[in-house]
Amino acid sequence: MSDVMSEAGSDIADRPTAGAARSSRPKPESYLTNDRLLRVARPVLLPTLTAAVLLGIWWALASWADLPAVVLPHPADVWSILKSNFPLLSTHMWHTAYESTLGFLIAMVTGVSLAILITYSAVLREAFYPHLILFQLVPKVALAPLFVVWLGIGAPARLSFATFIAFFPLVIATAQGLTEVPPEMIRLSRSLSATRWQIFRTIRFPYAIPYIFAGMKISVTMAMIGIIVGEFIASQKGLGYLILFASSQANTALILAAVILLCVVGLVQFGIVLALERAVRRVFGSD
Amino acid sequence: MTLSPAEAATGADITISHVRKTFETPRGPIEALAGIDLDIAPGEFVSILGPSGCGKSTLLMALAGLEPATSGHIRISGAPVLSPRRKTGIVFQEPTLLSWKTALQNVLYPAEIAGQRKADHAPRARALLDRVGLAGFEDQRPRGLSGGMKQRVALCRALVQDPDLLLMDEPFSALDAITRDEMAELMLDLWSENSGRTAIFVTHSIHEAALLSDRVIVMRRRPCDVLADVPVPFGRPRRMDVVDTPEFTAFSSHLRGLIAEAMGKTEAQRHV
Repeated sequence: MSDVMSEAGSDIADRPTAGAARSSRPKPESYLTNDRLLRVARPVLLPTLTAAVLLGIWWALASWADLPAVVLPHPADVWSILKSNFPLLSTHMWHTAYESTLGFLIAMVTGVSLAILITYSAVLREAFYPHLILFQLVPKVALAPLFVVWLGIGAPARLSFATFIAFFPLVIATAQGLTEVPPEMIRLSRSLSATRWQIFRTIRFPYAIPYIFAGMKISVTMAMIGIIVGEFIASQKGLGYLILFASSQANTALILAAVILLCVVGLVQFGIVLALERAVRRVFGSD
Repeated sequence: MTLSPAEAATGADITISHVRKTFETPRGPIEALAGIDLDIAPGEFVSILGPSGCGKSTLLMALAGLEPATSGHIRISGAPVLSPRRKTGIVFQEPTLLSWKTALQNVLYPAEIAGQRKADHAPRARALLDRVGLAGFEDQRPRGLSGGMKQRVALCRALVQDPDLLLMDEPFSALDAITRDEMAELMLDLWSENSGRTAIFVTHSIHEAALLSDRVIVMRRRPCDVLADVPVPFGRPRRMDVVDTPEFTAFSSHLRGLIAEAMGKTEAQRHV
């Protein structure tokens, strides 16, 4: 958890003299620049290289290994399917993106609310917390058909299932952040006669923010999984439905095209959570 | 400098009478304070010195209104202490800075909780940070500050509401030796005029007690009460080099003898 808390690019307070001594090193200018460029570029360069190599292997296998297209379609074929069927694919993509985002948002509201309740009520905490931990261990995907039995084939079943599996990581991470506040901080605010609400607003909540975002990052991917599973078993729309449909047609290239779009949606959602985290931290930092 | 402790018009006077504190534990009650009687005059700098487990921190928390006494009375400027009072500033053993706030925002935290406008207190907070040698670090997060700097921010936070009583609970015990000396020098500098706010400084360091205070209360264990009440024979303004005088050595040695007694050692054990 602690690495979540430290922001990137920490600005340790150097003594003002420390910088001056460093810059007087007699190294050639170009050498220093190249060195620094490499160090900055490496975290981007290496993963890109790995991806390119894997894509190259796929390309080579599909071109020369003489595998049937059902097993391994050529990357170029996947790309052309993606381009030619884009209107169809994007309709399904929006459907999945919309429902998974909605499921995540419902999980956010209910999860954070329940975490606050169990932080402040000993009775609720004792009643619910062991079950929350227990449910973490249950393979929740196995319960998906139950939601269809209860709620029928449609958006309510998919949304409630996505909310259900996205909810647990959020409650647990948030409750952990709210309760693990160092007791000295609580004592400090008590010594200033802070009210319970002030303690929540100025100590517990800011302290829990990194925990909440750690939970959100897990939860946002969980919501997507929930919607896909829901679309597998109870839907006529969405990329999950499309994947199932394409597999019944043995159209592997279409499956892969749909998976690529799923990755795009997932990355965008994750990126929004990251951007939100930065913004919230900046607000709490500067005010 | 107008921010010297002397600006507090009058310090608080404190009356502690028959204060007892018992903690209930599964293995029976433990008496942490066994009847304390003390009077502290306005503007006095009093150290409470004693071995660990003598109840000195418990006494300080009772004075802060955070841990009420089981029986007895504590009055500060005539009013009984039942809960934390605004005019008491506290420096804890750990700096306890809020990691998401800058140094300046941490100093302003008491004003924030009191519902006061931060802008009204910002000049004073900046001046305090400047006074303790942290000019230019106002916008640093605690992560970017050394241990000594953090504790200086905590000191500014305790002083920002212009308290008439400053309570310090072993504030330098988590710092290294050189930084402790630096902090002691800062304290002497802040208290260079012998008037103004009352200060109570809990410590297990004989050196700090002798160097910083006007009066040393030595507490003992079993029973946890006051063993000795010793006036410090050095005036103010006081400088660090007082430690090099024979009088300081003699006084420290006197305190050391009292501590040994407080720990229940016999005369023979002391000289082993």
